[in-house]
Amino acid sequence: MTDNDSHVGRRTYLKLAGGAAASAALAGCAGGGGEETEETTTETGGEETEETTTSTPEETSESFDVTITQGQMPSGLDPQDHRETPTDIVVLHAYEGVLTRDAAGAIQQALSTNYERIEGENAVRFDLREGVTFHNGDELTPEDVAYSINRVVDESVGFASPQADQLAGVAGAEVIEGEMAVKVNNTSLNPIVFSEFATYLDVMQQSWVEENDMAFISQNMNGTGPFQLDSYTEDEEVVLTRYDDYWREPAAVGTLTFRAASEASTRVNQLLQGETDVVVNVPPQEVQRVNNSEGARVAAAPSTRIIYNAMRYDLEPFDSVEFRQAMNYAIDLESIVQNVLGGFGAATSQPTLPEFVGHNADLDPYPYDPDQAEQLVEDSGYAGAEIELHTPVGRYLKDLEIAQAVAGYIDELPNVTATVRQRDFGSLVDELLAGSIEARPPWFLIGWGEATFDGGLVMQALLASDGTLTTWQNEEFDALLEQAGTQSGDERDATLQEANALAHEECPWIFLNQQFSVYGVNDAIAWEARSDERIDAYDMSQQ
Amino acid sequence: MSLSRFLIKRSLQGLFVIWGVITVVFGLRFISPGDPANVLLPPDVDPEVRAQVIAELGLNEPLYVQYWDFVSGIPVGDLGLSLVTRTPVASRVVTKLPATLELAIAATIVAVIIAIPLGVVSATRRHQPADYSATVFSLVGISTPNFWLGVMLILVLAVQLNLFPTSQRPIGIDGIVLLLVGGNLSAAFDGFTTWLWHITLPAITLGTYFTALITRLTRSGMLDQLGQTYVRASRAKGLPETLVRYKHALRNTLIPVITVIGLQLGTLIGGAVITEAVFAWPGLGTLIINSINARDWPVLQGSLIVVAVGFVLVNILVDALYAYVNPQVAYD
Repeated sequence: MTDNDSHVGRRTYLKLAGGAAASAALAGCAGGGGEETEETTTETGGEETEETTTSTPEETSESFDVTITQGQMPSGLDPQDHRETPTDIVVLHAYEGVLTRDAAGAIQQALSTNYERIEGENAVRFDLREGVTFHNGDELTPEDVAYSINRVVDESVGFASPQADQLAGVAGAEVIEGEMAVKVNNTSLNPIVFSEFATYLDVMQQSWVEENDMAFISQNMNGTGPFQLDSYTEDEEVVLTRYDDYWREPAAVGTLTFRAASEASTRVNQLLQGETDVVVNVPPQEVQRVNNSEGARVAAAPSTRIIYNAMRYDLEPFDSVEFRQAMNYAIDLESIVQNVLGGFGAATSQPTLPEFVGHNADLDPYPYDPDQAEQLVEDSGYAGAEIELHTPVGRYLKDLEIAQAVAGYIDELPNVTATVRQRDFGSLVDELLAGSIEARPPWFLIGWGEATFDGGLVMQALLASDGTLTTWQNEEFDALLEQAGTQSGDERDATLQEANALAHEECPWIFLNQQFSVYGVNDAIAWEARSDERIDAYDMSQQ
Repeated sequence: MSLSRFLIKRSLQGLFVIWGVITVVFGLRFISPGDPANVLLPPDVDPEVRAQVIAELGLNEPLYVQYWDFVSGIPVGDLGLSLVTRTPVASRVVTKLPATLELAIAATIVAVIIAIPLGVVSATRRHQPADYSATVFSLVGISTPNFWLGVMLILVLAVQLNLFPTSQRPIGIDGIVLLLVGGNLSAAFDGFTTWLWHITLPAITLGTYFTALITRLTRSGMLDQLGQTYVRASRAKGLPETLVRYKHALRNTLIPVITVIGLQLGTLIGGAVITEAVFAWPGLGTLIINSINARDWPVLQGSLIVVAVGFVLVNILVDALYAYVNPQVAYD
């Protein structure tokens, strides 16, 4: 798709220079068939039955090439040795998990054909797909899957993976003797275990990992995914080509290239000039330029990130529920979403986003009511309060502008003075992670992404008394979260909804917006943005 | 003092400067806000995992141990491992250096090609339209910020007129040399035109300030020289004006200009940060920006050390050359 056919690229030169034969293996190959495979699995232990559908790319007559430009390049290619979305987006084209998610976030089968809880044990079982091969041609074995899980959760297996806590509650995995299946042992019930495996854990080949050192694994890939590594130039370019022996239909995309440009305007210019096909994080002020262009459009989707203002319950004036409620009534959230974010956001009413488990659909965002806010401030006894909002700059979409709008609305109240203090993200995070609530700023803007689509994890980390980033303490709320930890399915969902209702009423935060992921896309490509911030080239087709 | 003694003396001074830079850069890490671990890992990571990663990266070692580990490796080219990619810093920096050098040299060439003739014309046609035009150009060039000029050039020449690409560096001089060595002349030629096509806008962006500076320097130098007695004597002897201007006056003008060009080349290597970011040029500047954002201190330190070494080397070379071309300057 990229309009660079008339210019010889780096890879071409290197191949010519090295005398290597040009690889045209994928040019002109047929794309995927249009068949859909439907599989059904049942969770035992009282959990709901889930129907999963594995989609394949639309039928195309010939392959096409795609270039994706992100804000930064992957930090490496080891799928278990990083914590960044840009790296995930690249490696997840070559590596897969036992489960995955569709564009809307629903759990889907990937390398497993069935998953279920094992009755009477704190364990689950994954039956694995037959006939799956790694890019080096070797077949996937249950030993590979068990090893991959243990490499993440058990430091003694390989290294201290920064992803260990993403499989929280998982103690380890073992092969079920004589079967194409693995058993995953949990430390307790672990109600979100399938959600974790649908989001995290990329399966690697045990022998390949053990035969190579960390540096090699960080520069090469050998997964089971629809694309295999062609070349990797650190900090510059990752080139993948379609894997023709993929267990589903081969991808319609023949060559997939990842590049990076840190400047948003540079990415947009590249898109408009046809130098790339998909760019990430199109800022609101550039949206019109993209939409007005010939050949490119904006694609957006609600992400899993919530932006909020935390207020420390242990400090004046935020120790008053009335004052905290007043802050929510004081801001015109709808106006902020429309005018600051250009409509690329959604107002929130609770800590849990609509797509997440535990979301309470009965709760609406606080309405803009400055009179009510003024009265509540009077009732709180903190009239005349002077407050300062700490905010990072450039970390989240329009973070500073959102903070300025929030402080501006509050400052318009006749009985409160509000200002904004811009903070370096690193130093702000240092304070947030200092381990005690006393080290945290009294009032700050921050964002939180939770790729597991689980509201319980969000509330545990941000609002439980012992949460990593908490600024609130409420016994009733803690009890509800504790109760949810022993439940599963609808029962847990109901408890989490109750907790959300309590948070809405008590206002530990000023509830702000759900951040949207905004992309620029070449019109020649059919592709929809996803909620989990992944860019899945397997789902791309020509239009 | 002989040239060799001068070079030894300046090299020793340079070593102290580089050591100072190393120490300051190492110290900056500890007074700058932001723990690298907090940038590498998201806030929700388990404290136990955080501690393990910190230990694995050696960030929990005492300060003097970290300093010694860092300094002791430098003489043998070991700049440590990147905190983010876990790959050797030296190889990453060395890989990026050609792109930045290309850009700095291209910017210098653009500047020299434009600035010296412009400065000469400006001086020889003093108070005429050509002089006023050159003066206005110099003022605009000196006053225009890099980032704005780069964005404007992209919008006008790349997006609107489609004359140049917006960004990227699909091939470098190193790749072209490889093709030449491999005997593939036509590919090398194509590569060179592609390279030229991609480097033009970044080189103009980076070189504009430099062009303006050299123009003004050349103009004032020429004016100064043209007023000298030897010029009047040459004219009185009946030498053609062309010879007077270009053989005598310009030659003498170029001595300080060459010094400034040399020193500015060092500045350009370190100052290409913004230009590289605007044009997604994969050089040392981009590496510095990315390493600052990621709090990847080993990479930042390595990059700054390379810039400092480059600056010191260029300074020594320029001083030596200056004394060589102008015997009146002694090596002291």
